[in-house]
Amino acid sequence: MENSMKRRASLACAGAFMVFIAGSLLLLHPYSPTFPAVVQASDLDDPCSEAMVQVSTSGAASASGSVAGGDIVPVRSLADPYPSLHSVAVDPENNRVVMSDSNRGSVLFYERTSAGSSSKVTSPKWQVRGPATGMMFIAGVAMDPARHEVFAVNNDIGDRMEVFPYDEEGNVKPKRVLLVPHGAWGVSLNGGRDELAISIEHINSVLVYRREAAGGEAPLRVIRGAQTGLADPHGIAFDVATNEILVSNHGNWAPLTQEEASEGGLQGGRFALPSITTFPAEAKGDVKPTRTIQGARTELNWPMGISVDTAHDEIAVASYGNNSILVFHRTDNGDAVPVRVIHGDRAGILGPMGVAIDSKNDELWVTNYRDHSAVVFPRAAEGNVAPKRILRNAPVGTPAVGFGNPGAVAYDSRREEILVPN
Amino acid sequence: MFARLANGNSGPVRVIEGQGTKLSRTMHGIAYDPLHDEMIVPVHLAGALLVFRGDAKGEEAPIRVIQGPHTGILRPETTALDLVHDEIYVGEDGGKDILVFPRNANGDVAPLRTIRGPKTGLDEVRGVAVDPVRNLLVVSSRSRKAPTGLFIFNRTDDGNVTPRAIIAGPRTGIVRIRQIVVDPEQGKIFVAVKNNKESYRWDAASPSPWNPDEPGFIGVWDITDNGDVLPRAVIKGLASGLVWPAGVALNSEDREIYTIDSVRNGMFTFHTPEFFRKKTN
Repeated sequence: MENSMKRRASLACAGAFMVFIAGSLLLLHPYSPTFPAVVQASDLDDPCSEAMVQVSTSGAASASGSVAGGDIVPVRSLADPYPSLHSVAVDPENNRVVMSDSNRGSVLFYERTSAGSSSKVTSPKWQVRGPATGMMFIAGVAMDPARHEVFAVNNDIGDRMEVFPYDEEGNVKPKRVLLVPHGAWGVSLNGGRDELAISIEHINSVLVYRREAAGGEAPLRVIRGAQTGLADPHGIAFDVATNEILVSNHGNWAPLTQEEASEGGLQGGRFALPSITTFPAEAKGDVKPTRTIQGARTELNWPMGISVDTAHDEIAVASYGNNSILVFHRTDNGDAVPVRVIHGDRAGILGPMGVAIDSKNDELWVTNYRDHSAVVFPRAAEGNVAPKRILRNAPVGTPAVGFGNPGAVAYDSRREEILVPN
Repeated sequence: MFARLANGNSGPVRVIEGQGTKLSRTMHGIAYDPLHDEMIVPVHLAGALLVFRGDAKGEEAPIRVIQGPHTGILRPETTALDLVHDEIYVGEDGGKDILVFPRNANGDVAPLRTIRGPKTGLDEVRGVAVDPVRNLLVVSSRSRKAPTGLFIFNRTDDGNVTPRAIIAGPRTGIVRIRQIVVDPEQGKIFVAVKNNKESYRWDAASPSPWNPDEPGFIGVWDITDNGDVLPRAVIKGLASGLVWPAGVALNSEDREIYTIDSVRNGMFTFHTPEFFRKKTN
């Protein structure tokens, strides 16, 4: 291996090279209030890829010589410069909507009525983002209309929940930080009980904390165990009126340790059907759910966010795998058929991750992870219907790269494709 | 799945997703088998290894699933293929082990071999790769109590065995480590040195992920290296764009290195002929 690398010089390409470097620097400072330009590395077919590059080396000498390589510029880089809309929460009292952005680690605040019917991009009213926030792979969000606070949980990096005041903007420190177990996905606030509930994928658990819990504070209650039916839990709704906790489950389960694998006989991983499990608010330990919606007729397919509408006694679920919003009776149990489904090419639902019912304004919000958009329907919308409003955060047709803390890569030499599990 | 030449803000050319695929989140490994045109993905949250057709897309079911109490799989993190000996390797963080199965294994089958135990030094296994030419197995492992680095075993090792070499220590630059790949032609190990500093303890605050103290890099070592040694080559620095590289893959034909970065939520391609053996046409 060569100790240093010189590539052929071409003054004509110097400009392009500088542009690329500028792009790299933009990427390295991802806290800009505006979205940075996409970094366009020179293509291999581009003669500028052979531009003069004296690649720096570390200069450190090893027993066998210098360290080769160095600060090499990528020839291609793939990233989404726009937020990926993850979860959504609505505050009809203050006419605010908040969405989490798992791509760029931000929380976006919109006016409740800000979405429109045109193809224009809607800018957020405020955006909280940056190193001081501690947010990165942000997942679930919740709002406290009474105290004007937003709760956001980090899923796969950070292991914390941050609380921000409504009116904060930019690179700000959270008002409170609560350290939570790895794999937190959903968060829901119960103002009546002054508590919040968080779902944790990796340990198949629901943790209930004081609303103002902070630091390393322990949960008040933990729902976890074989009888709970919790299996890769995602969305969570901690309902005030019914005093219940509803959880959407993907159905995946595996022992964490050799000891757990040996509990009650040898256990391995398993796939169950996805489900919606309901628990009393006071539930703790290894308790059976009071109700479980599960079965082939439910149409559940990677159920993500969940929202409860006690005014109409219904629950809505973002069913990512079949690009649908499924609505059930709140008290459904077993292999229940949804009372309504929003699905179809006119609906504009693509990879729905979050859902929020606004019963005051008779609306239903959906965030699309596979499209740079959120869509708003009449609460009772059904079938292949167009949304009444669309909120776009990128121009129409902008691809959604879809990375969310990617952890591996492989190369398919037959198809010349790069494979990324996400 | 992205086209090799995808650049900028490009969408995938294919996506495998949905309940019927049995995929989940937290998939930190993947391997492609060009001989049989198959993809192998560990599913951490369901204790399973899924094998898909090479051109699978949409809500397509896997053609084979290794899962169950007899497999010994708890939470699989990473995987690798040995097409010379027709075997699949699975590395686990929770299980702190390496499990080896026949390549075409299916269902609740026992592993052919298991590397696990205190002598191995393995803790949270994050990457695995095989050199079938030299009959060596390389494992990346992260630990709070034991060395974090590369552990090199004989390919056919089984049980509670001592590694023949460990590449770890301050000179290596390895703080946290993820996916690895071996180029058997050269006897080189390519390593995604993520160097993310996070705490998963409830009572210990995590440093902000936006402020990594030790930026990650792609490091290359010889498979014969041992101890606290500098990498033979690196891709590291501001212009590289890397902060927390979590994955690495090679395309020897086009002399390219692919890496995926979990802070950037991005994928980077490096054209580095100097990292590969010179072509002899």
